[in-house]
Amino acid sequence: MKYQCIIVFLLFPILSVQERAIAHGAKAEYQLTSAVEIKALYDSGFPMKKAQVTVYAPDNPTQPWKEGLTDDKGSFTFTPDVKKTGYWEVKVRQAGHGALITIPLESKNVLTEKSTALTHNKAELSPLQKGVMIASVIWGCIGTALFFQRSKAPRLSPELDREIVSPKS
Amino acid sequence: MKKQQIQRSCLMGFIVATLIGCSQPQTPTASTSTSETPQAQITPNSTQTGEMGLIQFQANGEDFVRKGLVSKDGWNINFDHVYLNFGEATAYQSDPPYNPEAGGQPIAKTSISLVIKKTVDLAEGDENTQAIVINEVPAPPGKYNAISWNLNKGTEGILAGQVMVIEGVAKKGDQQVPFILKFDQEMQFLCGDYVGEQRKGVLQPGGKADLEATFHFDHLFGNGKIPATEEPNTTALGFEPLSKIATNGELVADLPTLKQKLSQADYQTLMNILPSMAHVGEGHCQELTLKK
Repeated sequence: MKYQCIIVFLLFPILSVQERAIAHGAKAEYQLTSAVEIKALYDSGFPMKKAQVTVYAPDNPTQPWKEGLTDDKGSFTFTPDVKKTGYWEVKVRQAGHGALITIPLESKNVLTEKSTALTHNKAELSPLQKGVMIASVIWGCIGTALFFQRSKAPRLSPELDREIVSPKS
Repeated sequence: MKKQQIQRSCLMGFIVATLIGCSQPQTPTASTSTSETPQAQITPNSTQTGEMGLIQFQANGEDFVRKGLVSKDGWNINFDHVYLNFGEATAYQSDPPYNPEAGGQPIAKTSISLVIKKTVDLAEGDENTQAIVINEVPAPPGKYNAISWNLNKGTEGILAGQVMVIEGVAKKGDQQVPFILKFDQEMQFLCGDYVGEQRKGVLQPGGKADLEATFHFDHLFGNGKIPATEEPNTTALGFEPLSKIATNGELVADLPTLKQKLSQADYQTLMNILPSMAHVGEGHCQELTLKK
C-alpha cells in the first residue's frame, strides 16, 4: 500500500468550495463543473492505474450510477446528470484502500457556470462597500462644490472678523 | 449661486451613486448545450420519514484477525482474542457530509446512540465469521454517513483498566512467542462514510442497515505479503521488536512495560500506530487521544 493522493478536478469550476477525503493518505479535492475529472496519484506522483471508481447519484446512494476504472494516468471523468441535485458521491479504491468524496451539485451552477466562476474570481461588492462608495462620491461632490464656492467668497480677517479689501492697484 | 452649486453637486452625486448602486457585475452568459432546468438549491440527500428501522453497529478486525497474518518481519501471528472496550458510539446523518480530515464534529440533523458501553472480541468465531455485532438499535430512516465511538478503559476482567487487549501466538521458524499486549490509552474516533465494497448506513423505512468500526491490524504488525517498501510496512512496528522483549519465551506487557522495554523509536512508532488502526472500512477517521 502506498500513500495515495487523489485529486478531483472539475473542468468548468462552479464552486470555489473544496473538499478532501482521506484514506491511507488518499486525498481528494474537487471543484464543481459540468464534468468531473478524478485524478488518482500515489504520493510519489505515480498514477493509480486501473483504480476502481464508483459514482453514486444523490437520489440513490446505494446503487452505482456509474462505474469504471482510472486510466493509465490515474484519471477518470464523468458528467453528472444536472437534474439530480444534491450530493454526488465518488468512491475510488485500489488494493484495499480508498477514499470517498461528496460533491454538492446545484443545477443553476451548471447552467451559469462560467459567469459564476467569474463572479467568484471577481469579488462582488457587498452592500456595505457600495454604501461607502456612494457616500464617498456624494461627499466628494459636496466638498468640491464648497471648495470652489469658498474660493469666490471674500476672505475674512481672523482677528477682526471683517472683510479685507485689497487695495486697488 | 452657492445654493445652486451645492444642489447641482448633490444631484450629480446622487446620479453617480445610483448608477453604482444599480449596476450589476457584467458576466457573460454561459453557452452550454444543457437544456434549461429549474433553478435548484443545493439539497442534502433527503432524510426519509417513515417507519423506524434497525441499525446494527459492528466491529471488524478483518481477515488479519480472523485468519491470522504474516508480519512484515516474517512472524506468523494468530490471534486468540482481540478485546476492545467500546463506549459512547453515535451515528449521524451529517449535512454536509462529515470530512474527518477537516476536523471538527459532524453537523447532524439526526443522531442516534449506538452503544453506551460494550466489550467485544474481534477474534470471536471461526475464520469465516464476519464482523462482530456490538449492538442493534432502532433508528429513524435516512443516510447515516458519519459515526463516532470511544475506546474507553474497561472496569472488569482482562479489560480492567485497559481499552484493548491482544492475545495470540507468534511463530517464526522454531521460535514461538505467546503474547498478551494491553493498551490503556483512551481514544475517540470521528469518522465519515464507510468506504468499501458495499455501502453502509443507508436505512430505509422499516429496514435494516449496518455501520462498521474497522480495525486494521496490518498497521501494527505490517503485512509480509507486500513489499517492505510499501505502506503500511514502512510505518508498522512488526513483531520482531516485541519478540526481543519476551521473557521466558512469552510476552505479557502493558503500555508502561512496553515504554520501558522497547527502544524509544519503537515505542514512538507503536504510539503513532495505535490511533491510526481505526477506520470505517477503508475510510479514515479523525483520532482524538483522551486524557488518562
